[in-house]
Amino acid sequence: MLQLLQRDRDSRSVLFSLMLLSVFVLGESATCFADGLSPEMSEWGQRYAKDILPIIQSRCIDCHSGKDADGEFDLSRFTSGDVAATAGDVWERVARRIRQNEMPPEGSPGLNDPQKGAFYRWLDSRPDQDLCNQLASDETQAWYRGHVMSRRLTRTEYRNAIKDLVGLELRPHELPPSDGSGGEGFDTVGDALFTSPIHMEAYLTAADRIIETTLPDSEDSASTEVVAARDLILGEPFRSNWASSATENRQVAGSSIKGFARRAWRRPITEEEVQRLLTIYDAAHARGLGDLAALRESLKAVLVSPHFLFVVESEPAGGGVQRITSHQLATRLALLIWSSIPDERLLRMADEQQLFEEAVLREEVRRMLADPKAVALGENFGLQWLGLREFGNGPLPDAEVFPQFDDELAADMREEAILTVANVFRENEPLTRLVDAQYIYANARLAAYYGLEVDEGDSWRRVALPNRQRGGVMTMASVLTSASYPRRTSPVLRGRWILEEVLGSRVPPPPPNVPALEESHEEGKNLTLRERLEVHRQKAECASCHNRMDPLGFGLENFDGIGRWRESDNGQPIDAAGKLPSGDHFTGPEELKTVILKRSGEFQKHFVRKLIGYAYGRELNKFDSCVVDQCLKKLKEEDLRAAVLIEEIALSFPFQHRYFKSDK
Amino acid sequence: MKNRFQNAKALSRRRFLQGCGVALSLPWMSSLVPRIGKAADAGDPPVRSAFLYFPNGVWEKDWIPKESGENYELTRSLTPLADVRKDVLVLTGLDKKHSHGGDGHYAKTANFLTGMPVTKTTGKDISSGGISVDQLMAQHTGQFTPLPSLELGTEPVISGIDSNVGYTRLYGSHISWQSPTRPVAKEINPRLVYERLFGKTLTADSEKAESYRNLLDFVLEDARRLRPKLGRDDQFKMDEYLDSVRAVEKRIEFATKGENGDWQPDVDDHALAAARPGVPGDFREHIAIMLDLIVLAFQTDSTRVASMMFANDVSGRNFSFLDGVRGGHHELSHHENKKEKIEQYQLINRWHVEQFAQMLTKLQSIQEGDGTLLDNCMILFGSSMSDGNRHDPDNLPILLGGRGGRSLKSGRHLSADGQVPLCNLYHAMLDRMGVEVESFGDSTGPIKDLV
Repeated sequence: MLQLLQRDRDSRSVLFSLMLLSVFVLGESATCFADGLSPEMSEWGQRYAKDILPIIQSRCIDCHSGKDADGEFDLSRFTSGDVAATAGDVWERVARRIRQNEMPPEGSPGLNDPQKGAFYRWLDSRPDQDLCNQLASDETQAWYRGHVMSRRLTRTEYRNAIKDLVGLELRPHELPPSDGSGGEGFDTVGDALFTSPIHMEAYLTAADRIIETTLPDSEDSASTEVVAARDLILGEPFRSNWASSATENRQVAGSSIKGFARRAWRRPITEEEVQRLLTIYDAAHARGLGDLAALRESLKAVLVSPHFLFVVESEPAGGGVQRITSHQLATRLALLIWSSIPDERLLRMADEQQLFEEAVLREEVRRMLADPKAVALGENFGLQWLGLREFGNGPLPDAEVFPQFDDELAADMREEAILTVANVFRENEPLTRLVDAQYIYANARLAAYYGLEVDEGDSWRRVALPNRQRGGVMTMASVLTSASYPRRTSPVLRGRWILEEVLGSRVPPPPPNVPALEESHEEGKNLTLRERLEVHRQKAECASCHNRMDPLGFGLENFDGIGRWRESDNGQPIDAAGKLPSGDHFTGPEELKTVILKRSGEFQKHFVRKLIGYAYGRELNKFDSCVVDQCLKKLKEEDLRAAVLIEEIALSFPFQHRYFKSDK
Repeated sequence: MKNRFQNAKALSRRRFLQGCGVALSLPWMSSLVPRIGKAADAGDPPVRSAFLYFPNGVWEKDWIPKESGENYELTRSLTPLADVRKDVLVLTGLDKKHSHGGDGHYAKTANFLTGMPVTKTTGKDISSGGISVDQLMAQHTGQFTPLPSLELGTEPVISGIDSNVGYTRLYGSHISWQSPTRPVAKEINPRLVYERLFGKTLTADSEKAESYRNLLDFVLEDARRLRPKLGRDDQFKMDEYLDSVRAVEKRIEFATKGENGDWQPDVDDHALAAARPGVPGDFREHIAIMLDLIVLAFQTDSTRVASMMFANDVSGRNFSFLDGVRGGHHELSHHENKKEKIEQYQLINRWHVEQFAQMLTKLQSIQEGDGTLLDNCMILFGSSMSDGNRHDPDNLPILLGGRGGRSLKSGRHLSADGQVPLCNLYHAMLDRMGVEVESFGDSTGPIKDLV
């Protein structure tokens, strides 16, 4: 160390050396314990020796070597994996310089992309990082490229928010266009949410219509629904004090506007904001409108403002990773559980800064799950997870083959899917009920469709099953229909669906130039679909995937193209047997479910990842694996009961924090 | 206010054009004067362009005519063109080189009208590589019409991501891109399209128009104040909001200023009122209404640019309504070289051509100036792949209807020599819309043989 100091030539390098010093001290001391490296760290070091050391030697060592190393930065000592693995934050600093294109300097051979990639990948895979209290950010991760956080409300959230705000529902044609998906496959991903002029037109005309409808000039002929909406929007001060003098009315208007904006914008409203909103009121007055009409204009402005339409998470001073405000947390919670805005209680708790208390937050999550609005978890998260969002709107089963399939049936099937997912949370059932359950949710019509006898009536209820042929998502008519072709079932599509959506496996598309399902290799023989698929699987390039997929699908062959039970097809008895590469074999849906349940761990992990991706509105990264693990651990402790997942997500670091990329 | 708006628009225009495959020739202003068709002659009708996309490719053997030139024989899938063949160019041998990598569908559809590489992503950094040709046209012709452009479709955006190929399915639902990173939402409800075009709510100095103007002014200011408080990524999203507000402001301005653009179309209000669509009963009706609305919009000079997706990519729409077809579109496009499937696939292709031909017939039946509306249109009709079984992005099936202000020598089969970029055709169309560019997408120059 003394040597180092003695070689200093000017004060600047003294400083630099002092900075380096700590690195070296850490490096040296850690080296002493190299024998005690964890197997993971040791493995990480070995990968350094294999992949990174050659790069360092060919690109860095010329300058960064020995006592006279440039910048006092000696990389020549890291000749083995163990030394490298114990080098403290040296590699983070190297990475920073590489990332900024500062190193290697101009004029010397630089790193090509594969070399940079190898380096970043190695660094990012460091095993001993504390992932639980961190977020991916520019500073920690080379691959980090930011996320849109202040996204706009999705179509569903917008619809629900309006309903909760004014008590009336928008009509389908008044809604903005549907949204695409990103991240883990959900529309809550800000990066994939765009705003076009036709969105703006929809917001404007919807705000206009809904406010004009709920606040008519005369209440005389107003329905009770409208009167209730009016009270909800304008609040108590209006009811008791309106319609006195113009000055007083303006004051009452201000207070109504403030209350409405607070609910719509999900946060306290400043006096300045109220005054700004009143300028709309005044301008309308100036155009000759009456007091109430003027008030309507201000309320419309609240609904077209970006403060309502966007999840505003504004940048605090100084960027970095920071906890979001309690009101932002309230909004995130409401979007997660209700796909809507916070209610009064949640807003009040945010005002009182209570939500960051673990016990309070857990209790609040349970309260929100109990609220009927939590059905949104099924309608929004559930349908997107199951790939059923547009079920009944897109391609339909063939009317000639399946004349029974109509809009009403499609709506029932859809509702079953919604309730099945939502109620696992709301009733706190084990997550595995989504795979296998001895009950379904149905109304009388759907129950009859499934051949079950229940009491008449439109109401939806839980219906106990005599066996396990139904029960769970795989045997819902909606899933079975959407994973069929318009005129027939497809064991391949169904098998792929189970692999991808239930077990979280990936099934790559067929390699190019491989003919799909050949007609027949044996001339003159008319092969069944099963036989043809078997021929197909004899080819190695097909077998690797189809061996995994097709048997699963065959286990569901007892269900026809619109999910009805059948024992035969075209006069031939159904063969619902399947055998997986693992050796597991089964016949029919009940045994299939048993086999899938043996892989419950895969299902749980996939489901949890999906749920977190939905909640965070982005793709998961390695920092999220801590939350995934925590969720799975808690789930196990709770005997797989699902509600705890929402609690854990709400409590997780990434849900309560965000990275602010300050460009100031 | 007007000045502010125009400045902002000019600025954002420039931003759009940076690094998105468009190189403008100077001087900028000269491009506002259409060279062909419209010319400097104030009385001439303007040129309009529509881009009609259909998914899942075609069976090429029944599509590509054997002969080139005027005396080609209509192939099976092109037979519906018989009555309008004199007004159609059949183009073959056009290619999209930036679609040769990537997935079979998504990397081909999102850039159908941009010609640039699509970013492989499940959400972050969504990009079609460039502005789409329709949107670039709209930036120039938008000032003359109430709506800069129409973006139509029949299906909601496809939900989800394809984690196997690593693309968001959103790519399969958008062909119009206002900028490389900003898809334009499409309208699938015909009634709303009609209301937007011909609804009377915003005419003259109505109270409604005044109210909307005030509201938009207010929220524009809200967004402006909010924007600097947001993170960098979030600011781009606020920009979308700001641009959308301005677009609606402009539309209101246009609707209320009482004077028309540079072309006074002959509009029969009764006919317009009668054209108000109901809810389409089925897919066929849906398509017919949407195409009719484009015709109406062009006829009334409500816009000069339109894009339309018959369906999203990979659409599995059931075409069993056609005699001889039993199954879904995507399923049958994977014909596996089986005769019975090819037969059905071809019937679906031909049905699409029929719809196109009917639209041309309608355009032809409308008198405009001393010719027909079709004379002043360029209706591009095509798919983003050739054979649906192979997903090839070369030798694309492309038809061009209309005469672009009599600047096209129609009635021919133009067989490109080798792999000519599809964007060369777009380049030629841009020329005819009066948009001067040095290149567009991957174009190497406008196709010359069109005249």
